[in-house]
Amino acid sequence: MAAPYSRLLDLVKVQCRIFSLNFNPERARLGNKILRQRLRGPALAAWYPRKTVSFRDLQDTYSRQGLTMFDEAEDDREEAIQIAKLRGKGRPKKKRTAAESRSAKKKK
Amino acid sequence: MSHFRSKILDLGGFINPRVVRDHTKRKVFEQFEPERQALRYVIHNTSLPQRVRAQAQLQLASMHAYTRSTQIKNRCVAGGVPRSVIRAFRLGRYQFRQQALAGELPGVKKASW
Repeated sequence: MAAPYSRLLDLVKVQCRIFSLNFNPERARLGNKILRQRLRGPALAAWYPRKTVSFRDLQDTYSRQGLTMFDEAEDDREEAIQIAKLRGKGRPKKKRTAAESRSAKKKK
Repeated sequence: MSHFRSKILDLGGFINPRVVRDHTKRKVFEQFEPERQALRYVIHNTSLPQRVRAQAQLQLASMHAYTRSTQIKNRCVAGGVPRSVIRAFRLGRYQFRQQALAGELPGVKKASW
């Protein structure tokens, strides 16, 4: 013997309350399928590897406390500048005023 | 767009302008996804007044292109190549082949039959 429709409806209603579903016997389009969807953003944003701690970060954090590390590239650069200066090939002096820069042009 | 791009580069690994752009799009999409889903819910809900739904449609359409998921393209993590990227390894086919032959991908083995 089939149960009456109203009885089935009550059953579905209780079922929906227990499992926190949306009770919608008219089958109206309430857009609940969008609320059910999971957010894809975090998974998509994790595609490329993020930057991790680098040697330069360590240098930056410890230089504030007065701790310096030996940096070979920086050492080489300063040495090269010293050699260039001795050969008279260093950078020209910075022109501080407009008059200075004008006189420098006139010499040519 | 440049105003979405982070001021300090937060990417490790292979970087070129296209990779940075795609990464920016991914982050923008992540940020605006709840807003987009809320608007989509309003649009799909037939019990709401038609006027509200039309307004939501307009609002969703007027959102920036970078907030759209269709702008995102899977690129090779090791070379930035956008084509034939193997999703499980996030590598382009050539990078995949090279790394697999070098034994850098665990469980990947050259087959022959």
